[in-house]
Amino acid sequence: MATSSTAAPPASPGHPAGHAALVRDLQNALGAAAVLHLPEDLIAFEYDATIERALPEVVVFPATTEDVSAAVRIAEQHLRPVVPRGSGSGLSGGAVPLTGGVLVVLTKMNRILEIDRANRVAVLQPGVINLQLQEAVAPHGLLFAPDPSSQRVCSLGGNVANNSGGPHTLAHGSTVNHVLGLEVVLPGGRITRLGGRLVDAPGIDLRGLFVGSEGTLGIVTEITVRLVRAAPAVRTLVAVFDSVEAASEAVSAIIRRGIIPVALEMLDREIIRLVEPRIHAGYPLDAGAVLLIEVEGLAEGVDADGAAVEEACHLAGAREIRVAHTAAERDRLWEARKVGIGAIGAASPAFYLLDGVVPRTRLPAVMRGVMETSARYGFRVANIFHAGDGNLHPNLMFDPDEEGATARVLECAEEIMRLCVDAGGAVTGEHGIGLEKRSYMEWIYSPADLAAMHAVRVAFGGAERFNPCKVLPGGHGCASGHGAEAMAAIRRGSDSV
Amino acid sequence: MTATATDLDRLRHALPRDLERSSQHYVVDGVTPAIAFAPNDGSEVAALLHAADEAGLTVAPLGARTATGLGRPLARYDVALDLRGLERVIEYVPEDLVVTVQAGVTLATLQATLREHGQYLPTDPSPGDEVTVGGLLASARSGAWRGHLPAARDLILGMAVALPSGDVVHSGGRVVKNVTGFDMHRMHTGALGALGVVVEATFKLTPLPAVTRTLLLSAANIEACGDLARRVWDASLAVRAITVLGARAADGVMLPPVPAVLVEVAGSPASAERTLRELRSLAPSAGEAPVETWGRLRRLAAGPGATVLRLGIPPAEVETTVAALERSGMAAWAHLAAGVVIARGDIAASEVEALRALAVERGGFLQIEVASAALRKAVDPMGEQERLLVAALKQQFDPRGTLNPGRWGAGL
Repeated sequence: MATSSTAAPPASPGHPAGHAALVRDLQNALGAAAVLHLPEDLIAFEYDATIERALPEVVVFPATTEDVSAAVRIAEQHLRPVVPRGSGSGLSGGAVPLTGGVLVVLTKMNRILEIDRANRVAVLQPGVINLQLQEAVAPHGLLFAPDPSSQRVCSLGGNVANNSGGPHTLAHGSTVNHVLGLEVVLPGGRITRLGGRLVDAPGIDLRGLFVGSEGTLGIVTEITVRLVRAAPAVRTLVAVFDSVEAASEAVSAIIRRGIIPVALEMLDREIIRLVEPRIHAGYPLDAGAVLLIEVEGLAEGVDADGAAVEEACHLAGAREIRVAHTAAERDRLWEARKVGIGAIGAASPAFYLLDGVVPRTRLPAVMRGVMETSARYGFRVANIFHAGDGNLHPNLMFDPDEEGATARVLECAEEIMRLCVDAGGAVTGEHGIGLEKRSYMEWIYSPADLAAMHAVRVAFGGAERFNPCKVLPGGHGCASGHGAEAMAAIRRGSDSV
Repeated sequence: MTATATDLDRLRHALPRDLERSSQHYVVDGVTPAIAFAPNDGSEVAALLHAADEAGLTVAPLGARTATGLGRPLARYDVALDLRGLERVIEYVPEDLVVTVQAGVTLATLQATLREHGQYLPTDPSPGDEVTVGGLLASARSGAWRGHLPAARDLILGMAVALPSGDVVHSGGRVVKNVTGFDMHRMHTGALGALGVVVEATFKLTPLPAVTRTLLLSAANIEACGDLARRVWDASLAVRAITVLGARAADGVMLPPVPAVLVEVAGSPASAERTLRELRSLAPSAGEAPVETWGRLRRLAAGPGATVLRLGIPPAEVETTVAALERSGMAAWAHLAAGVVIARGDIAASEVEALRALAVERGGFLQIEVASAALRKAVDPMGEQERLLVAALKQQFDPRGTLNPGRWGAGL
């Protein structure tokens, strides 16, 4: 990142009226070093983990809650949009400043403020990376349950904004189930607190409403999270199936036995062939699909649950079951899950990572539909996903330089999303609506439903200029049409994490 | 201001004739409403709300009426909206662990339906399972399982809410993981019906534990009970409740009148057996207690005739609060993992304020769960809230103040 110039910005024909005054006010409030405004400095902030690009007018790096509040107030005075951003690892274009304005980057607010072991609570700033928190609490025998696959880079503020999930959501729930309290800066700049330090707080669940609002209701400046005890025993096993369908049947069979594993992940043949040569975890290259299953609890319970899971898998047609006997073996099996998306990026010039969710019992039929649809369009598809939650992640691989490929991939993706909705599902399980899926909201919700969500934005005060063009369809000056928005979620292979 | 005959007729025209009930049956805090209705579905509820809104009448949604002592007394009460007619289980797919029900279904009915498939909705609110689903969500009161299991609000996958505008709006869906749009259903949990009337909810379910056992652990005094409870919590055992009982609370649930720790073991046979073994080694005196003890504790928290307080206190300090409350003459107990202390007895308004200050100082809260209208007028029952945001939401969803006016205080 280039350092910011302290000189007054030159008048530029590309800038909206009042640009110089905006920059000056922000510099006065936050300090010149915390404000970027030169075009060469802004380029790094025009996109997140997607290919949608839009240049912010100014980027600010607040160091304190008061800085955030000041930046929001100044943006408001200058009638500029405000877009919050954490690590920029979002997968739905939520941090793309589509209509310009002030991008508030929270990476400098990255301190863990408190770990209260006795009460299993941690207090931290929004720029703390998910994995950093995990590493800080692990010595206390505690963990923060949400563990998105991007946990090496994603920030907790981003997790709160997107209500992020991860492989262990199945038993532990998403981010919203682990956030106790928030300090937030509301549109207009007012600082307030929602929730507290305990699992429940009296009254309206405003903290729960705020989590997952994708930066449209305010900016999180401090997060109080709940920690859980690491389980005394864990068993990780891999069941190998000849087909995705058989593996999907096994998912239902396991749940039917009254066992909710802490993780129940599926990797299909395409993924196995991409990752196994890299990590040598022992996934069979000729498998149709594997389930990566984890049960935890007391040692005796883990033995019993593990045996029941094995039996369910065998009955569903598993041809082989492997159990990790050491922590190293367990880590290696999980490594495949963690490097999966990166392996797709390395193997294809571009790919579109989809995020849909269906009732578990509809998984076999919907997965068949995913395979048929992508085959019909002629795309390679790799599936690596949270099967236990019914949360699909088909990755459509394609070459954007091939004529018409991008348009066809968007069409194919839309058909797959339709399959999810028609099966009684939803269009995102954990990546968020962001920019990408705003138009799909109308597939699920009536105008009255959407009006109610809009009313919440109005009540919080940010309906017009706070992360505009996100979550809800419509909006002044926002691009529209599925193609334009869905494009946001396509990822270039070479850039993939 | 009172409702005129013309106003009431407008309501009668909005709904089928046979839905009107005798208003005498719906007295709340000594006030009889002008009229009462018992609709059967969400669209009828919405039609009634809309008609009342147009006529300038106020509506109090009612279910099993287990939480009418929660919140401020109503500022005005024209129309009783009895939701018990919304009594259908709309869809239950055991294989998906998902159920959709109308808001008037009682928790008892729901649990009985689910039990047939070895499943349950893992929540144990006071006063008991006679609460309706709508009441469960609007009052958002957790029980002994909280901290080990999710709150009711965390179990909601989707919701339908009737609004004074006449719309029935939906949020969420029927899948267990979903970030499609705002979690509007969270706004309605704990809202005491101030922002809309819940008419339908979809929940994610949990398999019933194969084995449950209730154990009573004793220790020398309340401080030792607190320590023992935390050792149980730290042992990561298969338990779904760890409750520290003051002597008066123990007496109130027909146990020996000494401080004790009540633990509910829940899990697979293998986990439960190991847990029982561990508990006996942590507390050699551990013995089985009647399973009914939990129901007695929930009823004790239901009040009638006494004041009941709920305090949020960090788990590390619950026993000192229990001890202080018991010294003041109340029966008190703590659900450790949730950091919740419940106290029942007589208490003056000034003492409630002092207790609240003490809880807030520790990062907690105080909520009046049950009390006379007089006490609920003298002391804010809910404590500090984000008033400005709540007022802004009220302005959006119920601008004329049709729903439960005053329950959140003046103007809300």
